[in-house]
Amino acid sequence: MTRAPSPIPVYWVLAALTITSAPHLIAMPAWLATLFLLMVAWRALAANRAWSAPPALLRLTISVILLVLVVVASGGHFSRRAATTLLCMMMAAKLMEMFSPRDLRLVAALSFFMMTAQFLFNERLVYLVYLALGAWTATMALISIQQQQTVTLLSPKLAKTEQLARQGRQAAMMIVLALPVAALLFVLFPRLASPLWGLPQQSMDGRTGLSDELTAGSIANLFLDDSPALRVEFPDGQPPPVEDRYWRGPVLTELDGSTWRRSSRADQSSPLPEAGVGEEFEHRVQLEPHERRWLFALDHPRSGPEDSRLTTTRELLSRNPVTTLTQYDVRSVSSPFGPSDLPVSARAYYLALPQDRNPRTRAFADELRDRFPDDESGLVAYVLEWFRTEPFRYSLATAPLGRHNADEFLFDLRDGYCEYYASAFAILMRAADIPSRVVLGYMGGDWQEGGEYLLVRQSDAHAWTEVWIDGSGWVRVDPTAAVSPDRIDYGARGAIREPRHVLDNEWLRNLRNRLDRAQHTWNRWILGFDADRQMRMLERLGLPRGSHTTLAIMMVAGLALATLILAVLLWRRDLKRPRSEVERAWRLLLARLRRHGLTKQAAETPLEFAQRAEKELGPKALDFGRLARWYHHAHYGQSHPPLEKRFLAAARKFRPV
Amino acid sequence: MANTADRAQPAWRDALRRQADRWIKRRGPSKPPLTLSYRQIFILPTRFGWAFGLITLAMLMGSLNFNNNLGLLTAFVVAGLAVNSMLMAFYNLHGLAIRHCWAAPVFAGELAKLCVNLANDDTRPRPALSLKSKFSDAQFALDYGQGDEIEVSVPTAKRGWMQVDRLRIQTQHPLGLFEAWSWFWPEQPILVWPKPAQPAPPLPVTGGGSQGNKLAAEPQGEDFHSLRGWREGDPLHLVAWKQSQRHQSLLSREFRQEQADILELKLSAAPGKDLEHRISVMTAWVLMAAREQRNWVLDLGAERLGPASNEQHRNACLRALAELGQ
Repeated sequence: MTRAPSPIPVYWVLAALTITSAPHLIAMPAWLATLFLLMVAWRALAANRAWSAPPALLRLTISVILLVLVVVASGGHFSRRAATTLLCMMMAAKLMEMFSPRDLRLVAALSFFMMTAQFLFNERLVYLVYLALGAWTATMALISIQQQQTVTLLSPKLAKTEQLARQGRQAAMMIVLALPVAALLFVLFPRLASPLWGLPQQSMDGRTGLSDELTAGSIANLFLDDSPALRVEFPDGQPPPVEDRYWRGPVLTELDGSTWRRSSRADQSSPLPEAGVGEEFEHRVQLEPHERRWLFALDHPRSGPEDSRLTTTRELLSRNPVTTLTQYDVRSVSSPFGPSDLPVSARAYYLALPQDRNPRTRAFADELRDRFPDDESGLVAYVLEWFRTEPFRYSLATAPLGRHNADEFLFDLRDGYCEYYASAFAILMRAADIPSRVVLGYMGGDWQEGGEYLLVRQSDAHAWTEVWIDGSGWVRVDPTAAVSPDRIDYGARGAIREPRHVLDNEWLRNLRNRLDRAQHTWNRWILGFDADRQMRMLERLGLPRGSHTTLAIMMVAGLALATLILAVLLWRRDLKRPRSEVERAWRLLLARLRRHGLTKQAAETPLEFAQRAEKELGPKALDFGRLARWYHHAHYGQSHPPLEKRFLAAARKFRPV
Repeated sequence: MANTADRAQPAWRDALRRQADRWIKRRGPSKPPLTLSYRQIFILPTRFGWAFGLITLAMLMGSLNFNNNLGLLTAFVVAGLAVNSMLMAFYNLHGLAIRHCWAAPVFAGELAKLCVNLANDDTRPRPALSLKSKFSDAQFALDYGQGDEIEVSVPTAKRGWMQVDRLRIQTQHPLGLFEAWSWFWPEQPILVWPKPAQPAPPLPVTGGGSQGNKLAAEPQGEDFHSLRGWREGDPLHLVAWKQSQRHQSLLSREFRQEQADILELKLSAAPGKDLEHRISVMTAWVLMAAREQRNWVLDLGAERLGPASNEQHRNACLRALAELGQ
């Protein structure tokens, strides 16, 4: 091919690569993403100007530089994001040698791979749009590469845009026709019950969820985050009353300066002996990935899924970090349970306070203890009342607190978010000789009428406390509730009236809820479809459970059937259109003239075209005028077999040379 | 290119190829006119198709391991695309009509141009087709209802009727994942004329003729031959008055005495070290005689053609020379 190849396939490949890499680009450092886009822009320009590939040494140098940059950007820490960043940059390097149909095709094919890589991080419903768009562009790129040599031969009179539209329709049709096979495989392809190798490490992409520490502002920051944290379904379809919607997460037992932390031994602690409990409450939680091990559950969880366990502090811990959307069933009881007395060592542990801090709180605690000797419940009730009557305010204010953080908050500031209340209250309790701890989790949730589930968002993140009351055990006390009952009744957004950001209005919130219901359905039916569900589905069809052979046979049979149906569908488009001999001979004539550089315009009648042909080709096309006249009569006039025969015979012999 | 054609192939490969040819021919019509049907269409993944399969497999394994349903969906959509691609490659050939496949005779050593007449009588276009001989290929596309003639060249080596190797019409439409192809043969072998000798010895002087052996034009002949500019000495009755008036200059009519100059081209009299060389000399003579519009007779010993001087005679002579001894 001496002719310069058309740049259009290159543009399509670049479009496919850019679209499918977009989420990776957003997740990587901006300067790396810019580099990637620069490479894409350079390649587009090279296609436009018909530049050739840069020399091999230069290509190698740039590739190595890109590699080093990725290592630098990832700080030598190899994570999955670093891997996809590397993949993106290597694709960018590949662009430098993408100058043959073979390489173009490879990049287009790898575009599909880029999408799968992104789905390891996020599988939300909106990514369906990404999948559709990416698949269409990549298919379009492949079609465009395939037809680049013949696209101009195929009806050259068609405008470029019309040809593009044709290819676009073809790409869309191919994807639509791929869906039956895809759906069939999706349902019947045997799933793995457990992974063959490691689990993904990251899924948050730099977003923050609830952490296992409590410092000033750690929860208030989440207030702006409307993304879902968990969704809960209840077997009787009824959510628990609003004041009971505490979703228990990590339990912080150690105060280190002004930061509450989890006990380092909490993970190893053994389950508690069972004790008498109240009524059990069953529910199913769909937990968004948060990269930590705890499984949120309605307070107080009693038993979780198989690969999880309860710790002494009543946290429900999963064996592995939650990095994909996880669904599990939990049983909870509404009243606290556990052993009825606290060992001396544990009591000392839950009373530990750093020395030399918060003198005013200590003094206040001493005073309280004197007023309520041996009456912990009375003391707690008094403090809550104190919160209610003193001018405490519940707001998003996150003033940094100093060394005497509880002092500053309780006696000076008196304005803050739930973490200030929980922390200060727990310190006050410890100072007053009452064992206490801080519990992190979520409080509240929106009941979705249409979807029959409770949606808990990141902005519902909450911190509360538990205090040990002899005879009752660990009792939940929520000081925020005393200050702002609205927080409990209407959620954090109901309690803090100031709009959080520009887009915070009623209509948008409704829209978001609607979208979340779609997301929930998606999670339930598509993302939640795992080995277990597949087997249950088989069971419902009356097939033996646990048989991969049955699945495989069904899959192969289904595939054969689907392919057969597709074949028939495609063949139906193949049905013959009646076309006369005359018409065929005429088209052959036109084809011959086309090879001599004369193309009939769509608007020209045969006779007009013949006149032009005679003018342009001169004596070479002398006979063509006669042929055109015959064709005109044979095709448009009344049926006249001898004329047709004459035309056919002459047309067969006609050569424009 | 002729070298490639001549390159000896191992006997077993030849035998294998013949066996394959026979098998293909058994499956259905193998010569035009024919319409491609499922028995004549073969399909296999291309190299890119295999690579694509590997990428899909990687997508599948990764998604399966992490139980990533959206990733699995992507892999399955890609698998669906591949299935479609296979069917569409097949249908791009299915029903395509090959009406003729024919080549004009050429001289040995030249490229014969095989002209393949194809028609797409279906309601949809057939993009991205290609026609391949062993030595050349042509890319083309057929719009719906359109017919076209595609040329592929085939090198020739020896005079005579040349059996052409099978031609392959193929497509990787739509994504290049699968290649569907069909084989067919031209209706007829190609006639290969002998290669004219170069340089060729001059035409033989016809001996034994009583009317003299003038080869040049003879003004006193009886057959009108042509007009030429008037020269001094031309008799008046030879002036073509009407034409001269039209051309504003005097023209004379020239006549030739032709029946006297029958050129005898005898194979036995042709110089040359062996038969093939003599045949090629004869070929060169036939061409020269035809170019000079001489009246000639071709004498091959067993066969005698002519006398005549027209194109048909020339072609008949060339064909006789090509077929000689075969």
